[in-house]
Amino acid sequence: MTTAPSEPGDPRATVTAWFSSRVGGILVPLAATTLAFLIGGLVVAVTGHNPLTAYKAIFEGTGLNWFFPWVAGETREEAANDLQQTLILMTPLVLTGLAVAFAFRCGLFNIGGQGQYWVGFFAGLYIGTNLEGTPRPLHILLALGGGILAGALWGGIAGLLKATVGAHEVITTIMLNWIAIFGGSYLVEIGGPLQGRQPSIPRSDDVFPSAELWPIWGSLPALHAGIFIALFALVVYYVLLNRTTLGYEVRAVGFNPEAARYGGISVAKNYFLALAISGGFAGLAGSVDLLGFKGGVSTGDFSTNLIAFTGIAVALLGRNKAVGILFAALLFAALQVGTSTRQLDPEVFEPALATDLATIIQALVIFFVGAEFLILYAWRARRFLGSQPRIRPELER
Amino acid sequence: MSTAVRTTDLAERARRLTEPRTIAILGIACGVLAFWLALPPWTTRGLGWPLAAGIIAVACGIAAVPRGERKLGYYAIGLGILGTIGALWLQGKDAATLDSILTAGVLASTLRFATPLAFAAIGGIFSERSGVVNIGLEGMMLTGAFFGIWGSVWSGSWVVGLLMAMLFGGLLALIHAFFSIHLQADQIVSGFAVNFLALGLTGYLFSSIYPGGIHENVSRVPNIDLDFLSSIPGIGDFLEGVFGHLNLLVWLMLVVVVLAYVVLFKTPIGLRIRSVGEHPKAADTVGISVYGVRYAAVVASGVLAALGGAFLSIGFVGSFAENMTSGRGFIALAAVIFGKWRPGWSFAACLLFGFGFAVAIPLQREAGISENLISTLPYVLTLVALVGLIGRSIPPAAVGRPYIKQ
Amino acid sequence: MLRPYNLPPMADAPLLELRGITKQFPGVLANDRVDFELAKGEVHALLGENGAGKSTLMNIVYGLYHPDEGEIRLDGKPVRIGSPRDAIDLGIGMVHQHFMLIPVMTVAENIVLANEPTKGPFLDLPSAEARVRELSKQFGLEVRPEARVASISVGMQQRAEILKALYRGAEILILDEPTAVLTPQEARELFAILRSLQAEGKSIVFISHKLNEVLEIADRITVLRQGKRIDTVPGAGATQEGLARLMVGREVVLRVEKPPAEPGETLLSVEDLTVRDERDLEAVRGVSFDVKAGEIVGIAGVDGNGQTELIDALTGLRRPSGGRILAAGEDITSASARECLDLGVGHIPEDRQVRGLVLDFTLAENLALHDFRKEPDSKWGWLYPKRLVQRAGRLLKEFDVRGGRPQTLAAALSGGNQQKVVVAREVSRDPRILVAAQPTRGLDVGAIEFVHRRLVQERDEGRAILLVSFELEEILSLSDRILVLYEGRVAGEYAPGVSEEELGIAMTGGRKQAA
Repeated sequence: MTTAPSEPGDPRATVTAWFSSRVGGILVPLAATTLAFLIGGLVVAVTGHNPLTAYKAIFEGTGLNWFFPWVAGETREEAANDLQQTLILMTPLVLTGLAVAFAFRCGLFNIGGQGQYWVGFFAGLYIGTNLEGTPRPLHILLALGGGILAGALWGGIAGLLKATVGAHEVITTIMLNWIAIFGGSYLVEIGGPLQGRQPSIPRSDDVFPSAELWPIWGSLPALHAGIFIALFALVVYYVLLNRTTLGYEVRAVGFNPEAARYGGISVAKNYFLALAISGGFAGLAGSVDLLGFKGGVSTGDFSTNLIAFTGIAVALLGRNKAVGILFAALLFAALQVGTSTRQLDPEVFEPALATDLATIIQALVIFFVGAEFLILYAWRARRFLGSQPRIRPELER
Repeated sequence: MSTAVRTTDLAERARRLTEPRTIAILGIACGVLAFWLALPPWTTRGLGWPLAAGIIAVACGIAAVPRGERKLGYYAIGLGILGTIGALWLQGKDAATLDSILTAGVLASTLRFATPLAFAAIGGIFSERSGVVNIGLEGMMLTGAFFGIWGSVWSGSWVVGLLMAMLFGGLLALIHAFFSIHLQADQIVSGFAVNFLALGLTGYLFSSIYPGGIHENVSRVPNIDLDFLSSIPGIGDFLEGVFGHLNLLVWLMLVVVVLAYVVLFKTPIGLRIRSVGEHPKAADTVGISVYGVRYAAVVASGVLAALGGAFLSIGFVGSFAENMTSGRGFIALAAVIFGKWRPGWSFAACLLFGFGFAVAIPLQREAGISENLISTLPYVLTLVALVGLIGRSIPPAAVGRPYIKQ
Repeated sequence: MLRPYNLPPMADAPLLELRGITKQFPGVLANDRVDFELAKGEVHALLGENGAGKSTLMNIVYGLYHPDEGEIRLDGKPVRIGSPRDAIDLGIGMVHQHFMLIPVMTVAENIVLANEPTKGPFLDLPSAEARVRELSKQFGLEVRPEARVASISVGMQQRAEILKALYRGAEILILDEPTAVLTPQEARELFAILRSLQAEGKSIVFISHKLNEVLEIADRITVLRQGKRIDTVPGAGATQEGLARLMVGREVVLRVEKPPAEPGETLLSVEDLTVRDERDLEAVRGVSFDVKAGEIVGIAGVDGNGQTELIDALTGLRRPSGGRILAAGEDITSASARECLDLGVGHIPEDRQVRGLVLDFTLAENLALHDFRKEPDSKWGWLYPKRLVQRAGRLLKEFDVRGGRPQTLAAALSGGNQQKVVVAREVSRDPRILVAAQPTRGLDVGAIEFVHRRLVQERDEGRAILLVSFELEEILSLSDRILVLYEGRVAGEYAPGVSEEELGIAMTGGRKQAA
């Protein structure tokens, strides 16, 4: 009892063990999501709307009913259209989710996905609107590669600052976000360096067709080949973390930097690498979005885009696991598509509200997934209180 | 440890003057001077002086780096070069333009821009001194901004607006406190969720309550007119320009800064807050309620941050926009670190960042630089400050760690 | 423990009485129906091994833990102690093994915390300091009230802790392993203080696992083993052997059996080494020594005399500011941790949970911590998890690690088994030099024996072993040569036959103690 060999009093040990078990790994995110939707419904009800009809309308806008075999005819076509939109949005969410998750595994919180996304977007834009006549696969590869590199650079700045002077990544990445957002606005504003051919519109040119990703399903806009890139990135993420020495180092630093240092691993190098790779994922998200369906960007697009922030919710809900991130990205993509102006009938529930509702639900999911203890309270109370009264009353206060 | 302090003899003092650190600081000063020479009141024209100062700066830096003072030395070198280049670039502009950029008006608006930052930063200091990281300051500000204007419109009185802002900012902080103290959630994740929740909730309520925007007359926090300042001979006009028409909340902010210092360092409450942030178990074993202190400190931080947010909506602009705080909570957080968790120094950092906001407007007007581009200035400044001057600041020892009662 | 006490008859009812205290932690029964009583004015020792439940029992008395069952009586009346506040109000004070002092604050601030003297709404520090001075004089506990805790000696920190309890009006004083951080001379000073406190009518609970100390100071001794009270005996008449048997439950070998050393060539050579600490102060000031193949060199000293910095410098975790380190002839003075590992310097670190293991890694991954970059673990940056598992299976068997398979998380093991994993990793790499820092800290007797035997075995295989420990007994029983580190310098070299007394004097810089 004199030193800390077993720390029997530490309830976190038990909780953490349960959490890393497979059952806990699936149950907790499910419970967190359910709870978040329940409280979201409460908000809807309090502000004088019917949560059931609101959620039903949102669900029908997601296109997920396409998977139901009994949905047929016109509804099915509509559902297909909606599902395409959901999957289009899922693509960057997987990538920004991976960006956040990779940094998490190194013990870093990358809130800078948004900036890295835009920087990757602009690198893609620059390459995509130049180099006319480059063969299509090459042009696409160049633009995507540019996006990855630019994102890695932007993330790498935060990584470098963390590694050299110990500047906290949460603050530096947020600052880099705003710099990227205002800087990006400057690039395409009227008179800006990347403003397009129409002098009165603050918008860039669209990329050349040779740089566009191939459409694979539908047309409004079509689901594009970017989804395969996202799926491939999931595999890369898994392999990188679990099957390479780099991944071993990153995880060691993330779990215990002091032990990693003792093991001969450079903590600073891994901080830098993790944020750079993390930024690469986010930068890829930007360039895939650009080449897949956006084509270009207007100054107005910056304030409405929260894709990388949703990516944080994706990573947390997916528990930084590749499969978890896939499903979490699908959930949040569906939620956002279902609440978008296009999909939601304003008679039922105003889209302006629904979009913010989606944000609220995401926030609640982050809360509940992050607070392992909350969901375990009932479980603990049953297990401990049932058999032995007064075991740790102070925890129940 | 104490030997360096005790030494008073002259030889020791002389030795310290030639220490690399002193040289490096001199170099940094020269680098700044190189730039400043091109600004009012000097408004030097010509290559000579800035270049000379720049060269001295670089020289000092080069002298200091190999003698062990690497970081400061590099700054001296960098500042020498940048300062000279900056000075030469400024000389290309009209000197009159520069005069109009650096006016009493800019100083007054520096104070104005620093106000929301300082409120949030002081809040952040309380929270972090008690051991709870609060990156939710941003969301608490946003909540304050929304409920400030909501209360003000609803009641017709800015007083109610402020009270509502404080109430809801405190409530949001209570959520953060509950998750990070009782549920032992990761404090950064919880703080981030607070931001996200505030963003969604204020957006939702804004669209829901004011579908077409706010058209009512908003009762705003009044300005305090101190016209008598201009009667002071000599600097009267200048003083009046800076302090003459500041908002009530600006003065309140100054009071809060002083109060925060007194509470933290001169009262038993402050001693207890700091003890909880440094060594919660030690505090627990003498009978201090660690949870109680942390709850109080976090809620206080929410109330203060919300005041800062309310200043944005009903003190400054008189309206509300979604996500109108645009990262100010994080700048405040940077100011906390920059100021080493001390109210006075953090306030100084807020002034610096506020200056970044304040010069943006005249710079854009006079120098014709893109508004978007110039808007990056405060963020760049924060980044540079984080990199440069703080290095590895030592936070309260227990910050970020949940306290697990046995 | 249902049988009645065999105690000397006491005049009064006991001041503090514990009856049937039971405390269950997940997986551990820390206290099992423990009875304990403390008479007014006595020094009562609570003796037991690491993990016997001594601290848990006293933390219950101090309100930090809550018992699952049992009753606490004070002056014959049942009391409920829900928090330290309650304990303080009942006149109970506790000096924890890890001091509950805030390093950045002054001694006076620490002592008055939560009971601060005020002037209006403000803190009245001058009168706090005056009050501390007064108490300090009254009980003969010398401290500097205005000094920051971080800058004073461990002994003074301990006195500040005792004053903290006295300031709050403690009548019962609980001291948890108070001598763990002290030299023998400082310990003697502490005993003198305890005697004078006893003379003032205070009652003292003295928690320890050191037999000689307990025999020296205690009026009565209660022995705990695996959470159970084994016996309570009067201090007069008790013997080391008898107590050891009660404590461990069998005869204990107090000395490690080892053949005489056969030193070979010099493997580790340290010349005039200086190392700075985090605060940029010189912590190691010109240390020189050699370690030869096939010998164990022990470094004795009180914590904080440069041991950590010395170890860090030897293992590449901290860059020395001067001097030279040669490992088997290679200059490793400014080598990185990785280069040191590759050059054959093994390192059993001071704290297995902070440094030695990644608790969230599996045992297989932990065992690969040093070698995952090399074949066969990996090739061209590609990791082969199966090979990690295979090797782990082999090592866990060889080193008798219980309670874990290769895929088990390190966090799931007990302290002793965790330490075996660390030892397995370090030894299996076949290092020429092994730096062992506090290798048995917090382990039970079985695990201690295992580690000690293994160290001797490695010595006999021709490794150069540097043992750093704060436990004099460990140093004396294992080392072939002993160096004493005091304030960053080598204060003397001794043969293993040296007395604790003599080492103790060197550990305090050779000054005569005012006892």
